[in-house]
Amino acid sequence: MMNHFMVLALLLPLRTCYTTYSQQESVVFPVMYLNVSKDLALQRLLVEWDVGKSAHDAELAMSFEIQVRQTDETATVWTEFHNVTLDKSGKPLHWTWDSDLPLECVSHSVRIRSKAEASKIWSPWSLWETVLGLDTSSNSGPQIFPNEKIIEEGSDLTLCCIGRKGQIIQEFFIDLDGRVFNHTSSQDRLLTLKNVTHEVRHITAYCRESCNEKQCSDQSVFIVGKPPDTPHDFSCQTQDKRRVTCTWSQGGDTYLYGSHSPKYTVSEEFSQKIVPCTVSCSERCSCSWDIGQQTIYNITVAVENPLGRKTATDVFDVTHRIYPAAPFQLWEKCTDTEINLYWKHQNKEIELFCQTEVLHPDGKVQLHNSSETRQNYASITLGGLRPYTEYTARVRCGAAEHFWRWSEWSEARTIRTMESAPSGELDIWREITPVLGGRNVTLFWKQTPSFRANGRNISYEVTWEKVEDGSEPESISFSSVYNSTRISIDNHSYRISIMAKNNVNYSLPSVLIIPRATDTEELKEEQVSGTDDGIFISWEPRQIYNSYIIDWCNFPMLQPCDLQWKRFGPNTSSALINSGAFVPGVRYNFHIYGSVANRASLLEKKTGYLKELPPLHDPTVRKVELSPNAVTLFWDYNLTNESGFVRGYHVYVSPVQGDCSLKGSEKYTVPDYSVLCKYTIENPEEKTYTVKHLLPNTKYKLVVKAYTGGGETPIVNFRYIDTPFNSNMLYLVFLLVIVPSLVAALCRWKMKWVKECCCPVIPSPSKSKALSFKEFKIGSEKVLKISDCIPDALAVDNKAEAQNFHPWSQLSSTSTADQSDDDNSSWIYPTDHEERDPAPTPTPQTHTWFENFAYSSHLAVESNVCQTPETRAGSKPDPSVVLYQPQYYFDILNGGAGSSPRDTAGRKTSLRYVSQTAVHCLGRRL
Amino acid sequence: MRCNGRPLGVLAAVTKGLFILWAVPGQGGRPLQPPTLQQIQALVRHMAEDAQELFTFYEENQGLAIHHLCRTNHPPEWLRGPVAGSRGLRGLQGTMARMSQALQDITRHQRDLNPPGAEILRRLASTHLKVRGLLSNLKGLFPAPSSNPGLRPRPTAPTKVFQQKLEGCRILWSYSRFMAKLNAQLEARSRRARREKQRSHRGSHLPTRS
Repeated sequence: MMNHFMVLALLLPLRTCYTTYSQQESVVFPVMYLNVSKDLALQRLLVEWDVGKSAHDAELAMSFEIQVRQTDETATVWTEFHNVTLDKSGKPLHWTWDSDLPLECVSHSVRIRSKAEASKIWSPWSLWETVLGLDTSSNSGPQIFPNEKIIEEGSDLTLCCIGRKGQIIQEFFIDLDGRVFNHTSSQDRLLTLKNVTHEVRHITAYCRESCNEKQCSDQSVFIVGKPPDTPHDFSCQTQDKRRVTCTWSQGGDTYLYGSHSPKYTVSEEFSQKIVPCTVSCSERCSCSWDIGQQTIYNITVAVENPLGRKTATDVFDVTHRIYPAAPFQLWEKCTDTEINLYWKHQNKEIELFCQTEVLHPDGKVQLHNSSETRQNYASITLGGLRPYTEYTARVRCGAAEHFWRWSEWSEARTIRTMESAPSGELDIWREITPVLGGRNVTLFWKQTPSFRANGRNISYEVTWEKVEDGSEPESISFSSVYNSTRISIDNHSYRISIMAKNNVNYSLPSVLIIPRATDTEELKEEQVSGTDDGIFISWEPRQIYNSYIIDWCNFPMLQPCDLQWKRFGPNTSSALINSGAFVPGVRYNFHIYGSVANRASLLEKKTGYLKELPPLHDPTVRKVELSPNAVTLFWDYNLTNESGFVRGYHVYVSPVQGDCSLKGSEKYTVPDYSVLCKYTIENPEEKTYTVKHLLPNTKYKLVVKAYTGGGETPIVNFRYIDTPFNSNMLYLVFLLVIVPSLVAALCRWKMKWVKECCCPVIPSPSKSKALSFKEFKIGSEKVLKISDCIPDALAVDNKAEAQNFHPWSQLSSTSTADQSDDDNSSWIYPTDHEERDPAPTPTPQTHTWFENFAYSSHLAVESNVCQTPETRAGSKPDPSVVLYQPQYYFDILNGGAGSSPRDTAGRKTSLRYVSQTAVHCLGRRL
Repeated sequence: MRCNGRPLGVLAAVTKGLFILWAVPGQGGRPLQPPTLQQIQALVRHMAEDAQELFTFYEENQGLAIHHLCRTNHPPEWLRGPVAGSRGLRGLQGTMARMSQALQDITRHQRDLNPPGAEILRRLASTHLKVRGLLSNLKGLFPAPSSNPGLRPRPTAPTKVFQQKLEGCRILWSYSRFMAKLNAQLEARSRRARREKQRSHRGSHLPTRS
């Protein structure tokens, strides 16, 4: 029972709470009062409303939804939720709204509904409360709204023109730098410019009623600009704790000028006062004012123009913002290696920390820091300097306590340290030229990198003395412009020293020992080669020397030759020698010396080129020996003074006509694509060469070229030669042509004797037993019947029949085609003679041929004229022989030799009779 | 009067500069001495051209060419005239003093609309210098104090930018007309004087009738 009561006791308050909550959820507090007014100056709607007193009493947290509608628009142009907690004072609520559209142009209506935050239900909307625009102009003429104003770049501009009562707006447009814009909205009373830009200088709106009087129109000018930028880099500082200067960057252009340009105001927050300063702006804006006892400031700079206001603030303690004035009146005291620099400063009551910048002659910059006591001047000692050297120094300072920033640099001061004795050594060298009774020694000196003149009037003193007998030294001085001298000494050993001297003292001496003159063995000169970076020299190191020296002449062909030298340490055995004077094609001679105890000994000689070039001259061919198949050339050539080391010679040969392909040669194609035969002689001392395998009686061109490591010059200026005729060929001709011809002539001349000797008298057939015919006899002579003879040759003397036979075919007993084949003939005329004959018509005559030479001797002789030895030698002529045949053809028989066999045969047509007696000669075959 | 060619334009500018040096006393380091009537006449001729050029440029530059709003037939009272004769020249001092004030006002308005160094500001300054030059010449020519030149109270200045521009434009238009008329009067007077001089010169050589 007790438990049941307790449960009820708990449930009752819960129910009460629930009921209350449910009631609050459903309770609404509608807007009881709504008033809308307008602030035309600000173009702002002022809205005032209230809800029931109960809501105030309950101090409810409420939300209000506010809607704005422009009369000429069908839709709501603005909706906003406004949250507020009511109080018991019961004051009405307020809300403002800035209109983009001039309030004069259209009517604006507002309505509101409410909701307690605890409630889920919105109250009903209030009625629209309207504030009217202008229906008609209240002025004496039409009015453009908004009135002239400055508008922000990028914004939209909406204008309207309100005419007077009873007047019609006839013109309403905007002039944009001469471009007319008159697109109006649907209501035909509004003009809207989107995204205006400052580039349009003049936005002028024109509105005119239908009348023409002056008061019938209105115009408005709109200026486009930008709000000011927030001041950048705003900071304040003081030089002396008495006057503060604030500076800042003003930002971008606002495009607003004159009275519309940005205005600056500077105020102090703690004192709530405007700072009495005048702002001036050029690259940066600044403003300065005297301060009092106040040390901590909160300074605000505000920049404002018609489009906006921006601020920047700087809170600072004056003692932490000290920006000292630049040091001034610098002066100095200096020695040869130190400068004491002094300066003054304005901020005597401020302890400063200063920095001195020293600019060295080599461009190096050194910074020296120093603290400054509160004296009339400050100073710093700059040490480690070179004597008689110019330094440029300047100073800046900052507050030693609470360093803020460096002052500006003081004016730079250029200071020269005092002179001292020259330091370092001179590098000296010599060139020894033996002369009668002694030597000429040319001494050279130059300053080593470590040498310092340390003064203005530098000079050199050269002293020399004999080493052995300690005789009185001789000396001579030279001004700074000299770097060499020549002295004459005898053949004794000498000690030479050279010192530099200035107004203060001498440098340490540089010593050279010239040894006693002795006959020295001539060293062989070795060739060295150049590279892109110089001429590489190497030598054999010797342990006894503590340094090596290489000398050479920059201009070997000149006198003086500009002797140069270079020293190397004891562990060096090679060097790349380079000089700006080295040029390709010039031979440079290098001498390598070893030096110990100031005595130098020549070790090696080298010679070489930076780069070898082709020879300057061609060899001069002084003698040419010709043979039918070879030519031997002899030439002169001076191997010295060339633009490279001569490695040998090239002999180029070629027939004048055509390319060269001589045995044992190398082919070389010249730029005109003709091919030369190239022979290489690799020994430059060998100055003769024989070119073999030439053709006799042929014209050749040839040239001899020297070549170096740089190549050779172009092949021009050929020499032309003609190889002689080969005499052996004459002998052969003589043997083969002349001798037989002579024999033939002799035979002809002694024909009778030859006949008798070679062809004895043939006995009369009548006396022959073989022809002892009994059956037939005519008179005293016997008659041979044809039928009794067996013929072994046939001669046809009929033109028509003769055509069936080859005119030069061998007579045979049977005239068959096979037997008349030329290949089987014992007598053949060269076929080329036939071919050369342009009239191949066979002579239609009958020829008589006899195998027995004795019966046809006259024919045989004439036929021989046309027969060459070659045709006799073989059945077919060798083509090569045929080619050369005209060369060996000799007119021996006076006229008949040039005739063709056909002609010959033609001329013998008179031999048409066949002697019956001659037939007996054929009987030899019987 | 405008030259299209650049060399001609440069030549014209140099010529004008030399002319001003001659016409305006005290320019170019010359000792101040009373100007001659010819100098004033030459200066007026030059100012008439300058006034016309300034008006043309201003009207175009300010976007006021629409409807020729400034070309009023009702110039300010002080720019009505000019009065012929030496009395007119004496009275010109007052006109030039008012014109100097008006140019200052126009320049001040234009400074709100244009960046420093704008062409319109340069031209206004140049014209203002000439007006002050002529005023100085007139003071040299008529040393006696004129009737309170430049001391009249200014009319209420318009507050609207457009009205300021328009007012300036109208003044420049009226000024250009005024200077053109003044120049024409002085030219006519000069021609008349030359004719009379020639006539009297010829008359002195005519034989006298007995």
